[in-house]
Amino acid sequence: MTDFSRRRILGAAATTAILSATGFPFPVLAQQGRTSITLAIGRDIQGLLTPPERIGPIEGNIIRTVCQGLIRFKPGSFEWELSAAKTLTQVSDTEISFELNPGLTFHGGYGEMTADDVKFSFELFAKPTADGKPAGYAKDWASLDHVEVTGKYTGKIMLKSAAPQLWLVVLPDNSGLIISKKAFEAGCYRSDQQPIKVIGTGAYTLAEWVPNQRVVLKANPDWKGEKPAFAEVVLQPVRDPKTAELALRANELQFTPVEPADAAEIEKEKDTKLLRQDSINYVWIGLNVEKPPFDNPKVRQALKLAIDVEQVLAGAYNGTVKPAYALMAPGLLGYWADAPKPKADPAAAKKLLAEAGHPNGFKCTLTLMSKPTYQAIGQIVQALLGEIGVQVDLQVLDAAAYYAVGKGDSGKNLDMALQRFGGKADPAFQTQWFVASQIGTWNWQRWNDPQFDDASAKAASINDKAERNRLYIEAQKRMEQSGAYIWLTHEANIFAFRPWLKPAVLPNGDDMLYDRFTTA
Amino acid sequence: MSLSPKLRYVGSRLVTTLLVLLCATILLFGLTLLIPGNPAEVLLGPRATPETVQAYSHAMGLDRPLLQRLLIFLGNVLRGDLGRDVISGRPVLDLVLEVFPYTLTLTLAAIGLAVVLGVPLGCYAATHPGSWFDQVGAVTSVAFIAMPNFVVAVFLVLIFSVWLHWLPVLGVGRGGGWGDAALRLILPALSLALSWIGYIARLLRASLLEVLGEAHIRTARAYGVPERRIVYRNALKLAAIPTVAILGLGVGRLLGGAIFAEIVFARPGLGTLVYDAIAVRNYPVVQATVLVVVGVFTLTNLLTDLSYLWLDPRLGRRLGEGR
Repeated sequence: MTDFSRRRILGAAATTAILSATGFPFPVLAQQGRTSITLAIGRDIQGLLTPPERIGPIEGNIIRTVCQGLIRFKPGSFEWELSAAKTLTQVSDTEISFELNPGLTFHGGYGEMTADDVKFSFELFAKPTADGKPAGYAKDWASLDHVEVTGKYTGKIMLKSAAPQLWLVVLPDNSGLIISKKAFEAGCYRSDQQPIKVIGTGAYTLAEWVPNQRVVLKANPDWKGEKPAFAEVVLQPVRDPKTAELALRANELQFTPVEPADAAEIEKEKDTKLLRQDSINYVWIGLNVEKPPFDNPKVRQALKLAIDVEQVLAGAYNGTVKPAYALMAPGLLGYWADAPKPKADPAAAKKLLAEAGHPNGFKCTLTLMSKPTYQAIGQIVQALLGEIGVQVDLQVLDAAAYYAVGKGDSGKNLDMALQRFGGKADPAFQTQWFVASQIGTWNWQRWNDPQFDDASAKAASINDKAERNRLYIEAQKRMEQSGAYIWLTHEANIFAFRPWLKPAVLPNGDDMLYDRFTTA
Repeated sequence: MSLSPKLRYVGSRLVTTLLVLLCATILLFGLTLLIPGNPAEVLLGPRATPETVQAYSHAMGLDRPLLQRLLIFLGNVLRGDLGRDVISGRPVLDLVLEVFPYTLTLTLAAIGLAVVLGVPLGCYAATHPGSWFDQVGAVTSVAFIAMPNFVVAVFLVLIFSVWLHWLPVLGVGRGGGWGDAALRLILPALSLALSWIGYIARLLRASLLEVLGEAHIRTARAYGVPERRIVYRNALKLAAIPTVAILGLGVGRLLGGAIFAEIVFARPGLGTLVYDAIAVRNYPVVQATVLVVVGVFTLTNLLTDLSYLWLDPRLGRRLGEGR
């Protein structure tokens, strides 16, 4: 029986007081407050935190939470709504007019947002960086001629040519965010200055960045919009997905992306919910059309018939993703609903190989990045192609080596590559990598088709939605005819989180709206 | 004027240490060149234009001749300039100094834990050879040595964080409380130390048994010196020499192992710094971090070598005789 003597109680109280004074956290007793949430990010911040010079989505998501654009995406979709702008109108193919909401103040005492800040932010993309380099995202605003300021809150975005993708890839996205000209000139947004200052008018401020430990976003007291659900959002760099999963189960994290293969196991956990979104990214096996034997269309066709995509996805993704049949994912402009949905047919594949002069198959290499899912894909493909006599060696490379392998002249030696590109809401973003000018850069299949190039260039420069749709489908038909692309999946984004949390993620899975995370 | 044998010994160890550092620096420089992948392209990602890649390559000095790059690198290292992080533009030395205390704390905590638990276990096993404790200890020690650190880490997290909710998993704590920081150190330090506990216990047991069989110990026993005093004051000091040598090497291994612990437990440190830098081919950070690890490793080995003079007075006498 427990002895609750006076001496014991006093002793326990004294111990508790001493430990509390030293910062002892009492994990067993700790209750997770609902004013703060901790979310996993895959790595720490790198580089500058300006829209033109951001390194990737991790920096982009932070800038997006602190700064406003003229328009913004709605959670879970690529539909947009007004944000800093009161109005935003496409006046003509080359002119977009805007009017800002008055009274949007940059935090840190940098004054009110004006049309001058819009002009500065958008034209910054064309300016060389401090080291004389072109900005990393300069291409996003390549169609911009200039921004004309017509009043304190009004202006015109003047374009060199029609640029429909601005409405889905630029204006509501990170490249459309507005920063303070005054703050930029005062040295803010630079990660080589500690403490780093990112000045915006958004729902949160960047309160703290402790390198390699955490990024803390705090609710902006001057924010005029809907009050964010959490006073504080902490972003914790967790490089290992398994650690993130364990930390979620230990309630140290409230939200983390999870690997598709682990989803079923995590779903069994109590107090954990899963969000599954079909993505718009694209994973495919590309064949180098310049290199024998892949220069023979019959060989390409044979390989396509030999690979049972559903079997590959069931093994590598645990059945959590759907197969892809063309470049554009469902829901996007240019989605090709009637794309052929071939069934695997090893006998027909063997016949085609024999007709191509390879009755006993051949040896080749499949290059892929060192990730468990990709390695699983590689092994299944290796087994499937083995059935028709094609012996596949897997060349598994780390990210840096992998990205170098298809570049320049070394790309001529590639046989097959397992590739994955991230998608954006406008199809122009997806098609740009497959044009002839990208051979030796990102067109690793070295596929050169003037009709594809023409269709995608024309579609990117007109505003007629129906015509764009037609042109993009036409472009995808050309890809299909080439036989150089064996589409696997558009992926799915899976996130695990506490049941009381309602996350806000865009359909590509990389872009998060931290300011719109709410309680369920 | 001639130097004393001990000073000459210290001097020769210092020269060897400097040579090792120089060779390691050159080797390290060469190895980073062999890694495939253009750092500028990796850094800038899929959307980089050829002009941007070229400008970045120039900024990173990748367009200079190899020998020139090596000489510049060595000259800068001698001046204490480890270069600038090509991504953030911050001095690499600042980045290293920011995170080094975390790695050092973790390494020392792991070594401390290994010594505090491994030495008594080894002593007890040596003084009770063949006992059930000795036999169970042998099996457990080998199991600890054989288990990979990352497996241990995952099990520890599952048991103490996920199931029992006793210990936190991530980071080094927030708010500055030492209690929180210490609590967050337990699991990573234990996952690093566990194999070393077994290793030290087995090694110490073996060398202690050997020393306890030596003539001077038998003489001490014959003179009626208490057994406890013989074991802990006379024998342990001599038996500790191989353990100290292994611990010296262990610092280097633990520094390397800290990389995995820092990744698994999301802690800041040299491990996470070099991991991120390798992923984007951020050469100045990779080179500086590995150089610091090599420096600490060789310095620890130097101190280990010098500690023999104190641990084994016979070495000092032998140096004198060789004069």
